[in-house]
Amino acid sequence: MKRSWWSCDGRGFRSEPPAKRPQPAALESDLPSRRSLLVGAALGAIAWASNRSALAQVAFDPSSRDRGVLVVVFLRGGADGLNIVVPYAEDAYYRSRPSLGIDRRSLVDLDGFFGLNPALGPLRKHYEDGRLAILHAVGSGDQTRSHFEAMNAMERGLPDVRQGSASGWLARHLSATEPASPSPLRAVAFGSIMPDSLRGGTTAIAIESLQDFRLMIPKGAAAETIQARLRDLYRTGSDEMAIAGRETLDVLDTLNRLTPSEYRPSGGAQYPDSDLGQGLRQVALLIRAGIGLEVAALDKGGWDTHVAQGATAGWLTYLLEDLGRSLDAFATDLGTAMKDVTVVVMTEFGRRVAENGGLGTDHGRASMMMVLGGGVLGGRVLGMWPGLEPDALEGPGDLPVTTDYRNVLSEVLQRAGKVDLGSTFPGLEARPVGLFG
Amino acid sequence: MAGWSRRGFLGLAVGAGLTAGCGPEARKLVGRGLPEDLEPPKGPVEVPLRLANRLGFGPRPGDLGRIEKLGHAGFVTEQVAADHEEPLHLRMKARSLEIDQFQPADLEGWPEEYVIRQLQQRALLFAIYSPNQLRERMVDLWTNHFNIYARKGRAMYRVSKDQTEVIRQNALGSFPQMVKTSAKSPAMLGYLDNTVNRKGVPNENYARELMELHTLGVDGGYTQTDVQEVARCFTGWSIENRFMHAKGQFRFDPDSHDEGAKTVLGQTIPAGGGIEDGERVLEILTTHPSCARFVAGKIVRCFLGDERLPWTDRLAEIYLLTGGRIAAMLVPLLESTDLLDGPPIVKRPFDFLVSLLRAVDADTDAGAGLQAHLDKMGQPLHQWPMPDGYPDQAGAWTGSLLARWNFALALTHGQVPGTHVDFDALGRRTPVRDLIPASRPAKDVEDDRDHLALLAMSPDFQWR
Repeated sequence: MKRSWWSCDGRGFRSEPPAKRPQPAALESDLPSRRSLLVGAALGAIAWASNRSALAQVAFDPSSRDRGVLVVVFLRGGADGLNIVVPYAEDAYYRSRPSLGIDRRSLVDLDGFFGLNPALGPLRKHYEDGRLAILHAVGSGDQTRSHFEAMNAMERGLPDVRQGSASGWLARHLSATEPASPSPLRAVAFGSIMPDSLRGGTTAIAIESLQDFRLMIPKGAAAETIQARLRDLYRTGSDEMAIAGRETLDVLDTLNRLTPSEYRPSGGAQYPDSDLGQGLRQVALLIRAGIGLEVAALDKGGWDTHVAQGATAGWLTYLLEDLGRSLDAFATDLGTAMKDVTVVVMTEFGRRVAENGGLGTDHGRASMMMVLGGGVLGGRVLGMWPGLEPDALEGPGDLPVTTDYRNVLSEVLQRAGKVDLGSTFPGLEARPVGLFG
Repeated sequence: MAGWSRRGFLGLAVGAGLTAGCGPEARKLVGRGLPEDLEPPKGPVEVPLRLANRLGFGPRPGDLGRIEKLGHAGFVTEQVAADHEEPLHLRMKARSLEIDQFQPADLEGWPEEYVIRQLQQRALLFAIYSPNQLRERMVDLWTNHFNIYARKGRAMYRVSKDQTEVIRQNALGSFPQMVKTSAKSPAMLGYLDNTVNRKGVPNENYARELMELHTLGVDGGYTQTDVQEVARCFTGWSIENRFMHAKGQFRFDPDSHDEGAKTVLGQTIPAGGGIEDGERVLEILTTHPSCARFVAGKIVRCFLGDERLPWTDRLAEIYLLTGGRIAAMLVPLLESTDLLDGPPIVKRPFDFLVSLLRAVDADTDAGAGLQAHLDKMGQPLHQWPMPDGYPDQAGAWTGSLLARWNFALALTHGQVPGTHVDFDALGRRTPVRDLIPASRPAKDVEDDRDHLALLAMSPDFQWR
C-alpha cells in the first residue's frame, strides 16, 4: 500500500488518454509491467546511475529533449545586492554602511572592484571556472518600492506592474513554445503555492516533494474504483481546479515511473536540507530522468532585512550560506549536463544604500542577478555601474537600475532555444547584456 | 419566501439531466455537475448553500434547512448580529488552550511548535464549530489583511493577543479601531520592525505596509516621501522591555521619538507632538477616501470574488458615512442578489478543510494531525511570511489539489489523528449514498466513506 495504486498498472487511467493532453501511442506499448516496475525499484540506484530513463524519453515530443532547462530562483523580500556583490572599491559604500559594510579582506574578490559576500564562498569556483556570471544594478521600472508591486512586475515580465498582461512571463514563454505533446512535467514550481510567473495559460504544476507526490488511498478503500471515479470527476470541466486536477493526474502517472527516493546526486554533491537545497535536488532528479522538464521555479524567502541584517554574521549570512551551498550542490551534481541548464537568481528589488537604525536596510531599487550554467561566459560582473556617490543615487538614496532585468531573461531564453520574445516580454527593446560573450 | 423559488436560470439549464437520481439534500450539499462550456464553474445555485458558503465556511448537516426557514435577509441579520452563544464543547476546547491564559511575555520560551499548534487550533475550532460563521469569515479576512508571520522573532507569543484584541474584537465592528489597535499591537510592532524605528535612524517597514496593505492601498496616493515621514511619526512606538515594567506591552518611548515637524499626505504635523504624531497619522489614513475604497474593495472581493465597481463605490461611500463601520458595509452587500448570482470563488485550503469537516459533522481536536494536512495543502495558519496574507486567486492554489484529495481520503477513512467522523449518525440524517454527484454515476462505489471522499475530491467542492 505504500506507494498506493499509482505504482500499479492503473489501467483505468491509461486506457483513456487525458482530455487535454493526448499522449503518443508509444507510451501505451512501452508501459512497464508491474513486475518490471518492482524490479526497477529494486535496481533504482542503477537506473539513476545510467542517468536517463529510456522509458521516459519516448513519452513526449522528442523536440522537448533538445530544449534547455531554465531554473529560476526568486529571492523574495528584496535581496540586498550591495552586500551580496559588494562594490568594495567605493568609499561611499563604507561611508553609507558603517555597521553593515563588509571588510574587503573578508570578501571573495571578483574583479578588483566587486567582491562576493564570503557566505557565498561555495560559488567561487563556479565563478572562476567561468560558469557563473553576475549582473549588478539590475531591476525593473517599478518605483513604488512595494514588494508586491515589484514582484508582480517581475513575475509578469513587465517594466512595471501598471502595464500589460496578467499572465506570468514563464507561462507566456511556455505557451508560445509549446510542443505538440508536452510533458506534464514541463514546468514545475517547487512549493505548495504557484508563483505568479507560472500562472495563466500554461500547464505548470506545483510540487513540494516528488517523493510525497502520490495519492494515498487508505487500506480498505476501493482503490481501483476510486481512481477511476476520480478520473471521471475531472474528465470535463474548464475551470482552473478541473484543469489542475487533470494535470495532477497526468503528473501522478508520470512520476509513477520514477523512484525519487533512489536518486543519488553525482560528484559528491551535498544538498543542504533546506527548501531551496531539496528543491534543487529534485530539479536535478527530473533533469536526469529526461522526462521533459523545461522550466523549474523555486522561491527562497526572508530577504526583507529591515533589521539584524548583519555584515559577515546575521540573517543575510544565514540566507546566503544556504543559497551558495544549494547552487553549488546543484551545479556539482549535474556536472557537464549544466551546459543545457541555466540557473537564474533574481529578486524584486535591492535595498537602500545607507543602513537604517536597526542594523538593516530599507527598500531600494536595483539589486544583482546571477546566471549559472547554460554556456554562459562567466567569471565576470556585467552591467553598467552607476556608482554610490549621493548624486548618482535615486530617490531616497537608492542604487539606480541601469540594466532592465528583462534583457537578462530574454538573453537567457534566446540562448536556450526556441523563444517568442514579443509575447514573453511585450514591448521590450532587447539590449544584449553580453552573458554569452 | 419568494427568494427561494429563484434557483436561478443556471439551475434550470445546468441541473437537468446532470443531477438525475441525486437526492435534493445531496444537491444542496455538493452542488451540481457541470457541463464543459461553463468557465469558471457556476457552482451551486441553491440559495441556502450559497449563503452558507459565502457568509461562512459551508453548511453542517441541518444548516441548510435552518437557513431556508430564516430566509436570505433573516440569515444575514442573524449573522451580522453574531450573538449566538458559542456551544459548550467549543468553549471547553478553547478554554483548554494555554495561549489565551498567559500574557505574551509569560509565554516566551515555550516550545515553538506547541505555541503555533495552539494558535492554529483556536482558528480552526472557531471556524468549524462557531455558529457565528460570518464573524469567523471576517476573522479570516482581517487576519490575512493584517497578516503577521508567527515564526518571525517573538511574534508567535504575541499573535494570540493580537487575534483577540485586534482582529476578533473588531471583526464586524469599526475598521479604524482595528487599525489603531493593530498599530499598538506588540505582535505587529515586532513583525514590521517598528520596535527599531527610532529618531535619526527611521525604519520604514511598518510605515510602508500600514499605508500599502492596511489602509490606502498601493494606489492610494502616497509617495516615498510620505513613507519616510510616516516612519518618523511612528518613531518610539515600541514594546516595553524595561526592568520592573510589564514586559511585552505597547510602550511609547519619548526618547526615541523624532520631535520635528512632519508632513503626511499634504497635512502638517507640528513639532513636539509626541505619541500624538502617530495617532494623527492613523486618523488621517483611516478617514482617507483611498482607505474607504481599499477596504471596500477587499470586502467586495471576499464575498463576490472580484472588486466589481458599483459595489466597491457603494461600500466606500458607506465607509465614509459611518466612520468605517464594517457591519454597515456588509449588510447591503450580503443581502443583494449579486451575492447569489456571481461566479464561484475558489476555496483556499483552510476554507476547503473547514467546509469538509463541517459537511460531515466531524469531531476534531484541530490538533497536529489535522494541521499536518493544512500544512501539506500550503496554508499553515499564521505562517505566511509576507505581510500581504495568503493569496486568494484560484491560480495560486492549483498545486494544492493532491493534498486536498489525500485529506478527503484520510478523513473519511479515520486516518486523521484526533479527528473522527461518525458515519452511522451522519447516515441517519442524510443518506450518504446520495452525496455523490449523480452526474457521474458511481454505482460501483459501494462504501459510504469512499462516496464521501469522492464528493470532497470533486472539482465542484473546491469552490464556494
